[in-house]
Amino acid sequence: MNPVLVRLLLRLYPALWKERYGSEFSEFLQSEEARLSTLADVVRSAISERISPTVGATMNQQTYPFGVLVKQPAAFLPLAMSLGALTVVVVTATVFGISRQPDEGTPAHLWQLLMAGQLPLLLFFVIRWWPRAPRQTIYVLALQAGAFLLATAPVFLLHL
Amino acid sequence: MEKGQYSDPPLLILASLASGPKHGHTMIEDIVLLCGTRLGPGTLYGAIARLEQQLLIEPLAPEERRQPYRITAEGERVLRTKLNTLHQFSKAGLERLEAL
Repeated sequence: MNPVLVRLLLRLYPALWKERYGSEFSEFLQSEEARLSTLADVVRSAISERISPTVGATMNQQTYPFGVLVKQPAAFLPLAMSLGALTVVVVTATVFGISRQPDEGTPAHLWQLLMAGQLPLLLFFVIRWWPRAPRQTIYVLALQAGAFLLATAPVFLLHL
Repeated sequence: MEKGQYSDPPLLILASLASGPKHGHTMIEDIVLLCGTRLGPGTLYGAIARLEQQLLIEPLAPEERRQPYRITAEGERVLRTKLNTLHQFSKAGLERLEAL
C-alpha cells in the first residue's frame, strides 16, 4: 500500500491509538495490497475507534481494571505474605501466649522473612504497573499497605 | 462473512497465538488455515489492541520492523474457557440436528 495512503488512513484513528499502534500498523499496511475491502476495513475500524474508543482512546493508564492488576503475582504475593505473617503471629500467640521472648525464635524469623521478602515484590509491582495504570496501582498498594499494617500491628501493639 | 466462516477476531487471534508468538501477517495467514476467515488489517489491529489492553496478549521485542505478540497465561485461560463453551455448544447443536 502506498505510504501516502497509509498516512491518510492513520489520520482517521484517534491520537492515542496512533501513539501506541501507529508505527507497527503503518508497517503492516504498507505491506498490504490496497484493495477496496482492505481500505473499507481500515476505515470502518478507525470510525469504530472514534465512536467507541475502547481501544485507542482508553489505551492510557485507566484501561487496566483493578481486578486484572490484583491478579498479578507481584500484587497478590505480598498480600499473601502479609496474611501469612499475621497467621504466624496469631498461631504463635495462641500456642505460646503473649509474652516477649528474650531470644527471637523461628516464628519471629519467619515473620521477618515474610514481611521483608515482600518489599522487592512491591518495588517490582510499582516499577511495572505505575507507568501503565497509576490509579489502579495505588488501589493495589493501598490493599497491600492495609495487609502489611494488619500483620505488623499485633507485633507492635502487643510488644512481641 | 462467507457462509460457514467463523468471525470472532479476539478469539481467533488467541487461538492463533496459542501455537506460539506471531506478528500480524503470520496471524492472518494462520487464522485462514485455522478456519478460513481472513481478517482485515483494521479488524486485526482493533482486536490486538483490545486483547493487549485486557492483558490477554503481550508484545515481544520487534523483529525487523514487525511486532510479534504472544498469548499470556490469562489469555490461555480465557481461550480455554471460551473454546470449552463453544465445544459444548457445537456438540449440543449437532446432536439436535442429528435428531431431526
